[in-house]
Amino acid sequence: MIKLIARKEFTEMLRDGRFRLTAGIVLVLLLTSLLVGGQHYRELKRQHELAQAETREQWLRQPAKNPHSAAHYGVYAFKPRMLPSMLDRGIDSFVGQSVWLEAHKQNEFKYRPAQDSTAVQRFGELTASTVLQLLIPLLIILLSFSTFAGEREHGTLRQLISVGVRQSDLVWGKALGVSGALGLLLLPATIIGVSALLLASNGAPPGASLTRLAWMSLGYLLYFGLFIGVTLAVSARAKSAQMALVLLLGFWVINGVIAPRAVADIGRRIYPTPSAFSFQQTIDREMQSGPDGHDSADKRTAALREKVMKQYGVDRIEALPINFAGLSLQESEEHGNRIFDRHYGDLWARFEQQNRLKWWTGLLAPMMAMQSFSMGLAGTDMFHHQDFAAAAESYRRMLIRKMNDDLTFNAVQKDFSYLAQPSLWQTVDEFRYEAPSTRVALTRQRTSLAILATWCLASLGAAILLARQMKVD
Amino acid sequence: MIKIIMRHEWRSLRVDRTLWFITTLFALLIGYGASNGSAWVAFQQTALSAAQNEERSRYSQSQAELTRIEQGAKAASAFTNPRLPSVAASRAGTRYAILPPGPLASLSVGQSDLYPYYFRVSSQSRQTFLNNEEVENPANLLAGRFDPSFVIIYIYPLLILVLSYNLLSAEREQGTLQMILSQPVRLRDYVLGKVLVRTLIILSFTFGLSITGFLISGGKITTGEGFSRLLLWMGTVGVYGAFWFSLAILVNGAGRSSATNALSLAGLWLLFVLLIPSILNLVVTAIHPVPSRIEMVQATRRASTEATARGSALMARYLEDHPELVTGREVDPNDFVLRSLAIQAETERLVQPVIDHFDQQTLLQQSLIDRWRFLSPAIVTQSTLNDVAGTSFSRYRHFLRLVEDFHQKWRSYFTPLLIQRVELRSTDYDNFPVFQYEEESLGSLLSRVLIGLFGLSLPVIMTGWLGIRTLRRYSIGG
Repeated sequence: MIKLIARKEFTEMLRDGRFRLTAGIVLVLLLTSLLVGGQHYRELKRQHELAQAETREQWLRQPAKNPHSAAHYGVYAFKPRMLPSMLDRGIDSFVGQSVWLEAHKQNEFKYRPAQDSTAVQRFGELTASTVLQLLIPLLIILLSFSTFAGEREHGTLRQLISVGVRQSDLVWGKALGVSGALGLLLLPATIIGVSALLLASNGAPPGASLTRLAWMSLGYLLYFGLFIGVTLAVSARAKSAQMALVLLLGFWVINGVIAPRAVADIGRRIYPTPSAFSFQQTIDREMQSGPDGHDSADKRTAALREKVMKQYGVDRIEALPINFAGLSLQESEEHGNRIFDRHYGDLWARFEQQNRLKWWTGLLAPMMAMQSFSMGLAGTDMFHHQDFAAAAESYRRMLIRKMNDDLTFNAVQKDFSYLAQPSLWQTVDEFRYEAPSTRVALTRQRTSLAILATWCLASLGAAILLARQMKVD
Repeated sequence: MIKIIMRHEWRSLRVDRTLWFITTLFALLIGYGASNGSAWVAFQQTALSAAQNEERSRYSQSQAELTRIEQGAKAASAFTNPRLPSVAASRAGTRYAILPPGPLASLSVGQSDLYPYYFRVSSQSRQTFLNNEEVENPANLLAGRFDPSFVIIYIYPLLILVLSYNLLSAEREQGTLQMILSQPVRLRDYVLGKVLVRTLIILSFTFGLSITGFLISGGKITTGEGFSRLLLWMGTVGVYGAFWFSLAILVNGAGRSSATNALSLAGLWLLFVLLIPSILNLVVTAIHPVPSRIEMVQATRRASTEATARGSALMARYLEDHPELVTGREVDPNDFVLRSLAIQAETERLVQPVIDHFDQQTLLQQSLIDRWRFLSPAIVTQSTLNDVAGTSFSRYRHFLRLVEDFHQKWRSYFTPLLIQRVELRSTDYDNFPVFQYEEESLGSLLSRVLIGLFGLSLPVIMTGWLGIRTLRRYSIGG
């Protein structure tokens, strides 16, 4: 029975000019965004590899110089993109792409690509994720808002019930019919998407990317499922097809247009972040005089001098078997690191709280859950950005420590005119970044996945329940 | 006649719950938006006054130390000695260049959350202080702000459409249209009367809320500037609303069912508000791609390495180019200050083409958008509202130009002092150049906004005319 209903729905949709037109438009947009996304990814990857090689080259080609000057010269770290980012750019346009790793400072990421775009970008970027998150649900609504309400208006619902069709069969049949029509659209899109992904990977083994893609697909299937469920439920309950349509469009607008911004602003209010000015000012103040204001740099140096002289059993700083300047530099570096850890930790915790609020809003507006799930697996969410930032920062600390250690142990009895040989630059390994595994990314997104699954089940359940209770005329 | 229809329509709308639901919702959304907008303005002002405080206290500290030094004390360290022009020009005496929030900033956050609104200008190269973005959760930047202009661009059309998608179709479906038109009323007048009532209701709400939002956030209606900008704001909002009403007439005129009307209008909303902008963005970035900043970072580094390597040669050339700076003094070939000035000048010269390329590409994108924005009234409205509010890219560029000039002025003030190794006195600090922000002229703003308004009115007139024409062939039978 279910099969019969599904086939009827399916055929009817295919013969509907409206479906063919809108599905055609959606398909074209999806393919365009996939192609553009792939192109964008390849271009970024090329630039990234060039820049990464060049910054390494610059580091290695430094002439003999004081290690501390080399530490000031530093290196740049450029954020790599993951392959699935071609499907969902997430926050990429709104975070800096590179960070300068130098002595004394944990720098911010600079150059948000959105600054080099026009204001039109704020309407949203056309990526595969936009099409999947906004347009496909709209297509689902368009296809099935009149499923029950329309049949009721035409009087065919009474006929159907009278011949003994069970309501739950009706729901499953209709849901399958819509899914079939959608499948007709999504199947070629998926095939093209996967081949675009393989093409963009340029022969590199895309194993992890494919796993991420598979999980993303699961998320999207649940998302489409929940929209089918909601549409059928509303259609069963609404007084007229027109009413069903208006309600469903309202649901879509709240999800796709209102919720993201409303939640961002609510989050900003509940969990405010400091201004860049006060953030920097606090760090500067603590760097100079310690978190409590009683720990000035001079005092710390004096204390360190005492400690070291006692440790080596000498009474003059010149008699030390090490270079005190190097030791003192490293000590102030570690003092700074503790301050950076605390302040960046606090800031990121705030961002995390704001983003968590977005997940939980998914309970009311499931698109929010979909958005963070999709970004999370595409590797373009805050978590992946911070993971890279943390890796770059620990590389910075390693590099600076190496420079200070060289000064401490090899510049004994020498002043700042000491020069390290270029072989020292070689001892610093190249910065290599390993993105979080799929498992880690998925664990982070378990709440959003659970929310999507709950919505999907609940809405299909509601559809069946409401269909059982629905009036036939 | 229209008056009677309007009065009649007003009575029947008044008892309809939809209208009250929609207007209350609208008021809440705009109110929420205005409070977000003013929160952002307040946030900026707090940061700006913190910056000004920092500058003041830094100045009084430096001057106090100078007074001590003048009385014979020794400076703590050469790196912080406020007596040295190099220290004053790059640290102790630096001044903030401040872009105050625009006159209607709380009504439209626009691009102001993306660009820095103050710089600490020093004698170093501009690139060292231009990247002064506000700390912000990037996920929030991606979502955008919930400000009044967002409500106007996205939600206001939807509310208009909810009120008017079934303007005629509902009456026809209920059978009341035939009854009404059996009296001596023209269909055109009837439709116009209905639309006018709705327009009046919606606009009086929007205008009232805009003015309230403007006043609450500290806007001054009494100044000519504030008043004229508020008028432009309301004009834009009015014409944008008229566009959606005329679209509703057109769709109703086609004589389909209410459900079909709702679908078509939702589709048109999607087209104008989401699809055309994002496709246009795609096309524009494909035609004039802005290179990645990664390349600029590398170019800067290459240039500085190269310039440093040629330090001595550059210094000689620098002296040839600027003979006025070293009159009457022997030049030490190892002079650190001169050497770094020469290296800095050369680095900037080498990097300039790369930076120019960025600016040029962004400008090309912008001019392409300016030309094609008329494809969607939503884009025109966005750019016009941002312009009026003072949160657009062009106001930011205007600010950047002023900062550039100030930076030049700052350098030409300090370079002679640096080279001649003048020892500064505490009174000298009062004479350092000060940045003055001058608002972009109302004339250039007006020309941009009026072009926008004109481009916005054209589709209104066209769809309105088409809509009224289709009404002639409207079949009133159910």
